[in-house]
Amino acid sequence: MDAALVIDFLSATVRIATPILMAAMGGILIERAGTFAVGLEGMMLSGAFSGVVGAYLSGSIVMGLVAACVGGLVFGVIIAIATTRFDTEHMVTGLAANLLALGFTSFALRTVIGRGQAPVIHTPLLESIPIPFLSDIPVLGALLFRQPPLTYLAFAAVVAIALFLRRTRGGLLLTASGENPLAVFAAGTDPIRVRFTALLAGGIFAGLAGAVLSLQQVGTFTDGMTGGRGYMALAAVIVGRWLPLGTLAGCIMFGATEALQLRVQAFNLPVSSYVIQMVPYLATLLVLAGLGRTARLPAAIGQPFRRD
Amino acid sequence: MTASTTIAPARWPAWRGSVALRVVQSIGLSFVITDLLILIAGKNPLAAYEQIVLGAFGSWARIVVGLNKAAPYMLAGIGVALCFRGNVANMGAEGQIAIGGLAASIFALTCAGALGAATLPFAMLAGALGGVVWAAIAAVIHLARGVHEVLVTLMMNFIAWLVVAEILHGPLGEIDAGFPQTPMFERVAWLPKLIARSDLHIGILIAVLAAIAAHIVLWQTVTGFRWRLAGASDKASHYAGGSRARSVFSLMAVSGVLSGAAGAIEVLGVHYRLIEGFSLGFGFNAIAIALLATLKPLWVIPAALFFAFLETGALSMQRQIGIPSSLVLVIQGLSLIFVLCAVGRGARKV
Repeated sequence: MDAALVIDFLSATVRIATPILMAAMGGILIERAGTFAVGLEGMMLSGAFSGVVGAYLSGSIVMGLVAACVGGLVFGVIIAIATTRFDTEHMVTGLAANLLALGFTSFALRTVIGRGQAPVIHTPLLESIPIPFLSDIPVLGALLFRQPPLTYLAFAAVVAIALFLRRTRGGLLLTASGENPLAVFAAGTDPIRVRFTALLAGGIFAGLAGAVLSLQQVGTFTDGMTGGRGYMALAAVIVGRWLPLGTLAGCIMFGATEALQLRVQAFNLPVSSYVIQMVPYLATLLVLAGLGRTARLPAAIGQPFRRD
Repeated sequence: MTASTTIAPARWPAWRGSVALRVVQSIGLSFVITDLLILIAGKNPLAAYEQIVLGAFGSWARIVVGLNKAAPYMLAGIGVALCFRGNVANMGAEGQIAIGGLAASIFALTCAGALGAATLPFAMLAGALGGVVWAAIAAVIHLARGVHEVLVTLMMNFIAWLVVAEILHGPLGEIDAGFPQTPMFERVAWLPKLIARSDLHIGILIAVLAAIAAHIVLWQTVTGFRWRLAGASDKASHYAGGSRARSVFSLMAVSGVLSGAAGAIEVLGVHYRLIEGFSLGFGFNAIAIALLATLKPLWVIPAALFFAFLETGALSMQRQIGIPSSLVLVIQGLSLIFVLCAVGRGARKV
């Protein structure tokens, strides 16, 4: 195995991990506040779609990014209203939102823009921004410091969310809403509002995760283009035990297995690509089973809160 | 647990009326929004529905396609409904269907020569067993390690798809087919037709009988009572001598049998071979159908028919007047969200 192949593999790992990481950061906020984040896939797909449409209609990639945030946000709002106001079951609500996002994006792509057919839209890609000096470090520079903007944002979000959850009043309120909403209520904050807000923020992150795919990596939108990455983000949050740094590690591991799967032939591996694709899911199951009942699932996740 | 004292939310208007009425209202509401989407797209909603109805019921052949499509939905939907009733959030129908279809296919391909006419019942059995094994693995991981059942079953769906893909691209795949599929089964493994000289296979009959059986078990037997009790209250169930482990295991096994059989009838009755992605989305549809039926086994019958005919109708709508068939996903997603909002957690009540 020569060095070029390894560097290619590592950069593919970062590339594949980025959208999952961005969505997973939204997932952490949503789940730590007490809502199961099954709807990440739908928010992400909606973000990918509205990002491309926004960039295409306005001709500006910045407007595309704004539109992607709005796209994720809309599905965040839908899930938030259903789960907090109507007390629906979180998992099934998420699945329903995913179904709706898949149908709506595909329908809207064909009717609003395509006049009955699937149109071919191409948007310019977000370009890499090399960071001065750091990008000149051999190997590492190319790998980490010559990336497009959303990649930096995703990695920065890991640090920001870690600090937010640990060090700020808002972060503590958020985690408390997921652990013991009654205590939050007693302390004078409405945990329902906290969960609602977390879903909005999570929707924006997931929308941006969709933009990573559509505006930074592919440059167009195709039906169901997120292809299960939202579920993978959910798995990464679990593997990372609801902690930002752990989740980052989970995302990198998933990115690496996916990158490996695409290079089975180049690396001459004795297993099929389907077996390697199973690794993220098997790893998630193993981690979950290994943690068993000690898994730090937010204590009140999935439970409705009602004021007496 | 502490915060889930149930008092009706005061801030948003509560949905009133009987459950059946609320479900119908929800579906109606989703059609209203869909109408708006069709109007925005510059088409006539009435023309769209006309095409959906024609595509679904326009000829005997179209009706048969819908009925055949409804059968696996119904079977898997019954399993999901029972599980949800017993407070087992089983998201794993998708994987159980895939593995059921795979097991039935392997059996039909390898044993048809030796067994002759007995191939079909054994292939069905193999499918059901495949589903049970897949469901049982999930149940064991859930019970032994205390992992949330939703997470286990979701992960196992992805693994099931990949297992099927692996086997189709490997040992079982038809050579030079150009598409990941197995060779065609021998005729002895084909599901018999319900009506001669039509494509209608006996799957729909099996599914309706299963719904009736599930209804009787749920309401007339001790097992059904234990399931309902387990869904209603952990404590009550415990005091009545029920064990959570036993109800989880039996419910998952029942779901495995039904979903596995759903996968088996799809490969043995429709395709006569295993095709990659043959069951894609079936399990998630089954969840939606179970909730639309407010977890009542008999109501799963109309709910599954609704989904199946909507899908067959939409394909013809797309062909005839160019409205994308993905509109169906919008209708399904919206009606599911509205039903969830309308029924709320009440859907789980005994």
